[in-house]
Amino acid sequence: MPTEPRSRPRAEVVRGTLEMLSLKLLGEEPMHGWGLSLRLREISRDVFDVNQGSLYPALQAMLRRGWIRAEWRASENNRRARYYRITAEGRKQLGAEIEEWNRTSAAVNRVLRYAFSGA
Amino acid sequence: MAWYHEIASSLAAILRRRRHESEMEEEMRFHLEMEAKRHIEAGMTEAQARRRAWRDFGGVERHKDDTRDERGASWFFDALGDLRVAVRSLRHRPGLTAAATITLALGIGATATVFGVVKRVLLTPLPYNEPERVVAVWSAWQGFDQTWLAYDEWEGWKARVKSFADIGLYTDGAATIDGDSPERVRSGSVQQNLFAILGVRPTRGRGFTAEEDRPGGPAVAVLSYELWERRFGADPSIVGRPIQISGSERLVVGILPAGFKLPLDYTSGERTDIYFPLATDAANEGALAGPEFPQGGSNHGYYGVARLAAGATAEGANAELRAIVAELEKFGYMANVGFHAYVVPMEEQITGRVRPALLVVLGAVVLVLLIACANVAGLLLVRGEARRRELAVRAALGAGTKRLARLLITESAVLAALGGTAGVTLAYVAVRLLRANAPAGLPRLAETSVDGTVLLFALVVSVMTALLTGALPLAHATRLGLSGELREGGRGSTAGRARLRWRQALVAIEIALAVVLVAGAGLMIRTVRNLLTIDPGFRAEGVLTMRVSTPATWYPDSVHVAQFWDDIQRRVAAIPGVQRVAAVRLLPLATEMGDWGLTVEGYTPPPNLGTPGDWQVVTPGYFETMGLTLRGGRTFNSGDDMNGPLSMIVNRSFEERYFAGRQALGGRVRISGSDSTKWYTVVGVVDDVRHNALVGAVKPQFYATLAQFALAPGNTRRSMSLVVRTDGNPKALLQPVRAVVKAVDPRLPVSEVRTMRDIVDAAIGGQRFAMDALGVFGVVALLLSAVGILGIVSQVVASRLHEFGIRAALGATPGELMAIALRTGVRQTLTGLGIGIVAALLLTRVLRTLLHGVSATDPLTFVAVVGVTGIVAVIASAAPARRAARIDPNEVLRVE
Repeated sequence: MPTEPRSRPRAEVVRGTLEMLSLKLLGEEPMHGWGLSLRLREISRDVFDVNQGSLYPALQAMLRRGWIRAEWRASENNRRARYYRITAEGRKQLGAEIEEWNRTSAAVNRVLRYAFSGA
Repeated sequence: MAWYHEIASSLAAILRRRRHESEMEEEMRFHLEMEAKRHIEAGMTEAQARRRAWRDFGGVERHKDDTRDERGASWFFDALGDLRVAVRSLRHRPGLTAAATITLALGIGATATVFGVVKRVLLTPLPYNEPERVVAVWSAWQGFDQTWLAYDEWEGWKARVKSFADIGLYTDGAATIDGDSPERVRSGSVQQNLFAILGVRPTRGRGFTAEEDRPGGPAVAVLSYELWERRFGADPSIVGRPIQISGSERLVVGILPAGFKLPLDYTSGERTDIYFPLATDAANEGALAGPEFPQGGSNHGYYGVARLAAGATAEGANAELRAIVAELEKFGYMANVGFHAYVVPMEEQITGRVRPALLVVLGAVVLVLLIACANVAGLLLVRGEARRRELAVRAALGAGTKRLARLLITESAVLAALGGTAGVTLAYVAVRLLRANAPAGLPRLAETSVDGTVLLFALVVSVMTALLTGALPLAHATRLGLSGELREGGRGSTAGRARLRWRQALVAIEIALAVVLVAGAGLMIRTVRNLLTIDPGFRAEGVLTMRVSTPATWYPDSVHVAQFWDDIQRRVAAIPGVQRVAAVRLLPLATEMGDWGLTVEGYTPPPNLGTPGDWQVVTPGYFETMGLTLRGGRTFNSGDDMNGPLSMIVNRSFEERYFAGRQALGGRVRISGSDSTKWYTVVGVVDDVRHNALVGAVKPQFYATLAQFALAPGNTRRSMSLVVRTDGNPKALLQPVRAVVKAVDPRLPVSEVRTMRDIVDAAIGGQRFAMDALGVFGVVALLLSAVGILGIVSQVVASRLHEFGIRAALGATPGELMAIALRTGVRQTLTGLGIGIVAALLLTRVLRTLLHGVSATDPLTFVAVVGVTGIVAVIASAAPARRAARIDPNEVLRVE
C-alpha cells in the first residue's frame, strides 16, 4: 500500500529553514511576529504562507535557546507589539547554519551535476 | 550556553505562566488583526478579511499548544495535570488509598529502619583513624579459641612482627569518681601507645607519656569526653588539675574526643569513661621471644590491639605470627597445647558476631517490602478492573498510550510518596524504640539514627515501590486493546480474567514469601527456646544484682572489707521479701572469667600445661542465692572465715579433670602465689555454671570465700557484685537495697544494677533480636497475605454473583456455595505454600550460624508453618465466601 511520506521530517525541514530565514531577517532589524511573517512571505514568494501560525512555536523555540530576545514596543501604528531581536548567540547560530547550508547545497549541486553529465 | 537558556526558559515558563499566556494571546491577536487589516486595505469586507486571516493562520489553539510546548516546561505542567488526576482518583477511593498507603508504609518503614541499623552497625566505620588498619591480637590454645595476651607475647610480637606498625595492650576495670555523689565508671588501663594505635588524639591536653606508663609513675588520668561533660561540666580548666579517683588523687592530663570507645566497649555495650596508664613491669615481666620466654607462659590477661604497617594485611600478620610461634615452640614455649597467635580485623572482631543476624533481618525485611509491593500491585489491578471504562474513554478521547501510562505511574508514585512519608515517620518511631531497648549483645545498635543516608535510602525504596506497584497494572492497561473495552460488555471479559490470573499469581507469591519469613521466625523461636532451656547452672529468676566496690583508702585491709560485706548482707537479709543475699566476684554470663594457676595434690599436669582453674570469689550464701546445685559435700558457711580452715568448692569439670577416678571431697589444692603451707581442702562439689557463654565447653572452676582468698593467695577482692534473691519482683528491691548500701557507707556508689534475667537475656541478644525481627515481619507478612487472599476471593465472588445466584435458584445449599467460593482461594494458597516451602528450605540455611539445637530444615517447624499459613488463608477466605453462601437469587438475578 503506497503511503504518504510521514509529515514530521518534512515539517522539521521546513521548520529548520524557517528558523534560519527568521534569524537572517531579524539580524537585519528587530521585527514583530506579523511583520516577520509578512517579510518571509514576500521573500519566499509565499512558500511560507502555508501556516502563518507555525511561526510562533518556532520563535518560542529560538527564544528558549537564547538565539533571539523579545520585548514589547509600540508598533508603527502605535499599537503594543512584541518585537524580536537577534542575540550574539543567534548570530553565531545563523553563521553556522548558513555554512552548513552552503556545504549541503554545494554537495547536492555536485551530485546533480555529476548525475546529469554522467548520464 | 544553551543549557543555561533552556533552564532559565523552563523556570520562567513555570513561574510566569500567566504572563506568558496573556502575552501569547495578545501577540496572536495582533497578528490576526494586522493581517485582516491588510486584506481590508486590499478591498475585502471586514468579515471576509477576518475569515481569511484566521484560515491563513491555521488552528490558533494548536499553535498555542505548540508554542507552550516550546517554552520547555511542558513536562512540568503535564506532570502537574497527571498529579491532579491521580490525587482526584485516589481520593475517590479512600479505602483503597488507605490500605495501599498503610501497606507501603509498613514495608518502607521496616526497610528503612533495618537499613539504618545495618548502616550503623556494619557500614559506618569505627571512630578510629584508618580503622581498616586496626586489628585485635589474640592468643589461643587447646580449649581456648580466643584468649588474652601475655606480656611476653606483646614484647615478642612488637619486636618481631613486621606487619605491625605498633602493638599495644590494655585491660579493663572500674573506678570510682569520688565526691558528694560518688560515681562508679568503667576504666581502661592502657599502654601509652594505645591511643596512637587506634589513631585517636585527645581533643584537650595529651595522652600518656612513656614516663607515666611505668610502675611507680605519676598518678595521671585521661577522661572520656562524655565523662568530662557529665561530671565536670565540660570545664576546660580540669586538664592539669588533680581529681579524686577511688580514694586517691590523679592528675587529669587529657580529654578524648566525643564518641571515642575502646574496641571492648562495643561488645560490652558500655563506655569506658576514664583511662589510666597500664604501667606494666617490663623489667620483671619481659623477655624477648626466644629461649628466655617463660615455658608455661605467664598471665594471659591483656587485650592486644595492633595497627598494621602501611601496605600490610591481616593475613600477612597471621603468616608472620605462625612462623614466629613455630620457632617459639622449639624452645618449648607453651608446647603441646596447640598454642597459636592470630589477628582479627577490628571491624570483624566487633561486628562479626552480629553480622549474620543482621543480614538475615535485612533479607527478611526485603521480603516484607516485596510482599507489600505485591499487595499494592494487586489492589491497583483490581482498581484497574473497575476503571477499564474510564481508561478506555480517556483513550478514545485521544489520550495516547504514553499518557495513560504516565497517569497510572503517577498514581503509583503518589501512593509511594504517601507510603514513603508515613514509612519514614514509622522508621523514626521504630529507631527510637530500638535505641531505648537495644540489647547489650548487639554492638552499636544503640547508635542507630534516621540520618540523611537513611532518608535517601527510603526515597530510593519509595521510587522502586512506585515502579514495582505501577508496572503490572500498567502492562495490563497498555497491552489490552483499550478501544475494545468500550465495545465489551464488561462482566466476565477475557481482560478481567487475565487480571484475576495476575492477582492470583501475586497472592501466591505473597504467601510463598510469608512462608519463608514465618519459617525463619519459627526456627528462631525454637532456637531461643532451646537456648533458654539450657541449664546455665544457676536459677536466674528473682535475682537482683549490683556492683559495689570497697576502695583501699577507706577499707585498708580484708578485715574491713569482710566486715563491710557482713554488714550489708545482714541488713539486706532483713528487708521484707529477701530470701537470700551474698556477694560474688564475677556474675555468670555478664563478664568472662580468667583462670589462676593451681597445684592439685595427686594430679600431675601434662608437660608444659599448668593446672588452671577459673577463680570465683564469693561470700557464704552465694550458692543458695544463685541456686547452684550441690553435688557433694557442703556449701560455704560463716565458719569459712579468716579463722577457719581454708575451704574450697569446685565444679564438676574441676573434679573430672583434676580428680579423675579419685574422691574430690577432702582433696587438697594450693593457689599459686600463696604460701607453700596454705592448702585449701575441697569441701564441696557443685554442678557446672556456664559462666562465659550459654554454649561451649565449661572450664574447671573453683570457689573460695572472700575472707579466705585474702589469706591465700592473699588477694583482697575490692569490687564485688551483690546478689539478692527474692520470691517477688527483684526490681522492687532496688530502692531498699540501695538504701542499705547508703546507710552502711554513703561514699560508695552502686553501679551495674541488673537482674540475672536481664543478664541471661543479653547473652542471647543476637538470637533474640533475629527472633523478634523475624517474628514481627512474619506476622506482618501473614497479615498482608491475608488481605491479598481476602481481596481475591471477594473479587471472584463479586464477578460470579450471577452464577451463584443461578446455582442458588437451582437449589445449591449455602454450604455448597461457600465451598465453591472457598475453593478459589485454595489454589493460590497451595501454590504459595509449595513454592514457599521449597524457597524456605533453601533460604533458612543462611540462619544456620544463629540456630541452636534445631536444624535449618526442622520438619516440625515446617509443618507448623504450613498449618499456620493455611489457617490464616482459610480465615481470610471465609468472610467473602460467606457472602456467596448467603446469596439471594431473586436479588442477584433481578439486576440483570
